[in-house]
Amino acid sequence: MSEEEKKSFWQNMKEVLYGMASHDMSRYALRTRASMEHLFILITMGDMIGVPILPPYYSLRLLPYVVPQISTWKRRLLREKDLSDAMF
Amino acid sequence: MSLKKIIEEHPERRYIMFGGKGGLGKTTFSAATAYWLATRGKKVMVFSVDPQASLSDIFQQDIFGKGPVKIMDNLWAQEIDADQHIKAYQNEIRQKILDMYGFDQVPEEIEQYIQAASAEPAMEESAIFDAVVDIVVQGDYDYYIYDLVPLGHALYYLSMAKVYDEWINKITKLREEMREYEEMVSRLKREKETEEDQILKELQYIRGRINASSKILTDKEKTAFFFVVIPEEMILIDTKKAAELFAKFDVPISGYVVNRVVPRDLLKENIPPYLKNRIEMQDKYLKQIDETLGKQVASHVPELERDVTGLDMIKKLSEIMYGS
Repeated sequence: MSEEEKKSFWQNMKEVLYGMASHDMSRYALRTRASMEHLFILITMGDMIGVPILPPYYSLRLLPYVVPQISTWKRRLLREKDLSDAMF
Repeated sequence: MSLKKIIEEHPERRYIMFGGKGGLGKTTFSAATAYWLATRGKKVMVFSVDPQASLSDIFQQDIFGKGPVKIMDNLWAQEIDADQHIKAYQNEIRQKILDMYGFDQVPEEIEQYIQAASAEPAMEESAIFDAVVDIVVQGDYDYYIYDLVPLGHALYYLSMAKVYDEWINKITKLREEMREYEEMVSRLKREKETEEDQILKELQYIRGRINASSKILTDKEKTAFFFVVIPEEMILIDTKKAAELFAKFDVPISGYVVNRVVPRDLLKENIPPYLKNRIEMQDKYLKQIDETLGKQVASHVPELERDVTGLDMIKKLSEIMYGS
C-alpha cells in the first residue's frame, strides 16, 4: 500500500466513524444552533414582523450581521404553525 | 449648606445636574454654574440632553448640532442634534451592510426596517443618550454640567439605562449559548477554531456604552444632582414624588435650589395687593419647604427683574448664586 492509499484509507475510516458516532449529534447541534439564531433575530429585530422591541437604537447596530438570515427567518416564523413550533 | 460650599467641598463631583419640572430654571442654573466654574479657572462643558434644548437661547448663540462650541474662556457648550445623529448612524449601518456583503444597494426590506426603526418614538432619546457617552468619554473637561430634560423625561432616561442593560444581558447570554453549540459542532467535525463572533463583540461594545452613561447618573462619588423647585404647591407635590422615584434609581440628590422667590424687600414699599398676595403665598410654601427639606436647600434665588439670557445676565445670576 502506498503512502497515499494509506492516507485515504484512514481518511475513509475517520469519515465512517464520524458518520456512525457523531454526525447525528452535530446535526442536532446545528439545528439547535439555527433555532437559536432565529430566536436571536426575533428578540433583536422583532420590529420587522410587528413584535415591538424596546431599544431600537442599539438593535440597528446588530442588523448588518443578520442580513443574510433575515429572509429565511421571516419565512420560518411566519409559516402557518404555532410560533413555539417554529422556535424549537 | 450653600451651593458654593457643596461644589467647593466636593471637587470630585465632576458631573453636575439640575433637574426639575419644565420651565423652572434648569437651563438658567446650568449656565450660571458653568459660568461661575469657568471664571474660577475650571474647564467646563455644559450640554443639553433635551431634544428641545435652550442653551442656544440663553447664550444667544446658535450652537445646535455644532459640536462643542466655545462660549468664553474655559467654557464650552453643546446641544446635540438628535436628527443629525440618527441620520449619520443610519448611514453608518447602511455602509456597513454594503461593505460586508458587497451589495450595490441595501436590500429593500432591510432599508425599510432601518427607516421604520428610526421613526420609533424612543429613537431620539436613545440617540441623545448615546451621544452623551461621546461627550463624557472624549472630552478632558474638569466639569460636565448636564442641562437635563424635564422630570418625566428624565425618569424615562434613567429607566432606559436599566431596560437596555437587562435586554443586553439577555441577548448576550443567548449569544454565548449559541457560541457553545457552534464550538461543539466544530469539535465534533474536528474543524479548526470557529471564527470570532462579531455579534458578541458588538454586544459587549453596546453594553460598555450603556454602562458608561448610566454609571455617571448614579455615581455617588462623582455626581451632584440638584432639584430646582419654586415655592408653589403643585411644583412641591410633583417634586416630592419625583425625588422618591429618583432615589429608587439611586440618583444621588445633593440638594434643592428654590427659584423665583419674590424679594421680601418689596414689602417695605407701597406695592399692589396682587404682589402682596403672591409674597404671602410664597411665604406659606417657603415655610413648608423649610420644614420638609430643611438643610437640603442649597440656595434661594430671587425672581429677577428680567429674563436670564446673554452672558451679562448669566454673570449676574452666578453672582447671586455663588457670590462674586
